Amino acid sequence: MSLKKQDDMDHNAWLKNQDLTAIETAFLTTLIWLDKRLRIVDYLELLETMYYRANLQMPKSHTEQYDLDNKFWYWYPLYSLGSLSIIAYLVAAVSGALLGFYYSPSTAGAVAQGDPTAAYDSVVMIMTDVQFGYMLRSIHSWSAQFMVAAVFLHMLRVYFTGSYKEPREVNWILGVVLISLTLLFGFSGYVLPWKQLSFWAAQIGVEMALATPIVGEWAAQLLFGGFTLGQATLVRMYILHVFVLPFVVTGLIALHVGIVWVQGIAEPH
Amino acid sequence: MTDDTTPMTDGGTDEEARTDGGPPATVPPDDETPTWTERKEHSSGLAQLTYQYFERSRREDEDLRAESTYVERDVLGFPTWPHETIRNLAITSFFVGIIVLIAALMPAHYGEPANPGSTPGIILPDWYLYWSFGLLKLNPINPSLEVLGGNIAISNEFLGITAHGIVFGAITLVPFLNKGGARRPVEQPFWAAVGVTGVVLSITLAALAIQNFFPISLDLLLTLTFMLPLVGGIITYAVLKTMREGYMYDLNRRYYMLRPPK
Ligand code: HEM
Repeated sequence: MSLKKQDDMDHNAWLKNQDLTAIETAFLTTLIWLDKRLRIVDYLELLETMYYRANLQMPKSHTEQYDLDNKFWYWYPLYSLGSLSIIAYLVAAVSGALLGFYYSPSTAGAVAQGDPTAAYDSVVMIMTDVQFGYMLRSIHSWSAQFMVAAVFLHMLRVYFTGSYKEPREVNWILGVVLISLTLLFGFSGYVLPWKQLSFWAAQIGVEMALATPIVGEWAAQLLFGGFTLGQATLVRMYILHVFVLPFVVTGLIALHVGIVWVQGIAEPH
Repeated sequence: MTDDTTPMTDGGTDEEARTDGGPPATVPPDDETPTWTERKEHSSGLAQLTYQYFERSRREDEDLRAESTYVERDVLGFPTWPHETIRNLAITSFFVGIIVLIAALMPAHYGEPANPGSTPGIILPDWYLYWSFGLLKLNPINPSLEVLGGNIAISNEFLGITAHGIVFGAITLVPFLNKGGARRPVEQPFWAAVGVTGVVLSITLAALAIQNFFPISLDLLLTLTFMLPLVGGIITYAVLKTMREGYMYDLNRRYYMLRPPK
């Protein structure tokens, strides 16, 4: 065994033997330099695979194979409702992140009962002072409403096409969790402006929590920060709305869609 | 250097695969390391059951694949790029466009600041929670215990919570109650009727939540809340049942033409 280092893959020597233009030489030199350090060839291969994946043709579906389209075509647009939920969710996420720059979750500032609080004032500020602020808040509010509507209709689509049957029960249950969290998203967001209806909607929330046997008081403490509404309630709703729910819901949506990916879409028989 | 007759650690003699000497990088499998078969035999209890099931499952897959008559055709469908991609982009921009348009036409409002000291006449959540709010207004049907001198058995709030539990529980149970291969509403008029009943109920419950806006008596509204869904369900059942004969005949004929019974 010889100790001399033998480089079968002397790329630089190979480069010299080639008859290349200046641009080609520069390109290859950079590529080789980077590849020696970062092994980018692996990633190029990944990219290539992705290119072929992206140009894949979908396999012929059951519906096409048995020429069932003309019996079922009118359902097809409804199959986009799940994706529309995601799109509305993304729009709400982006506009919500921007709203976060201006909103302050605080009940400070009210001298007497019924005075505007810091939270309320910041919402008024967004609507009246911030450049395009009213547009931002309106987009956030409407995308939330569109999301809830899309999720409701998506659930109906799944129900009436019988798509929840074996082996998709898990995804149905996941869906029930998702719709509950979506509603909770809406509820916690509704509380944030700390307007009259926010306050009294939260009041009903606390009363419902307190009426639950065994876990009631604990749940009221956890969600609303006490039995009477105040600063603690607002901050809990805020953290729920901008921290907890975004992570949980995003994760669950990824899981939900991942399962659809693995199982394939349920086709009509 | 190793001499050429030395078998390699995996027992092979392929010179191409031979390393340039030195100790093997991994610990060679000795007699202690069980093969897959041995592992299966050694394992007991849950591990053994898992192996056994996996083996069955794998065999099932192989059998299904062998039996399959799936034929690939020349042109399989629309390619992801550009067809699917452009379609998805179109749907997305249209949908986002609608959201922005509506947001511009109907900006969000903010109302009065919170006042813990004065309860507003009408408390309402956003529209998508009306149904839930309706469930909280079921107190007129809260069963009263006459024997206890008209005391109610459970608090009105708890009745509302129970109702929510029933709704979510029922929805969760659907896949475990309705099984089988049927996908279309016509194939199962009963389950389609259940679905329509549920949809109409969510709407009538929403109406119950905003009862102040209806110029009819609360009794009538409560009756309608539960009767309309039933009526909706019955009509659905009747219509689908009537459609069913002709529809299933058509469908079966199509199947038989394509897949004649063996
Ligand atoms: C945040 C809410 C939700 C999102 C973002 C979402 C997203 C999706 C997407 C993108 C699909 C692929 C098929 C399609 O678009 O129709 C899907 C399928 C499915 N969803 Fe959802 N979904 C949500 C809520 C729900 C709810 C509330 C249910 C039912 C209770 C549900 C049950 C299902 C089932 C069973 C499938 C598989 C259907 C099939 O294979 O045809 N999902 N979901």
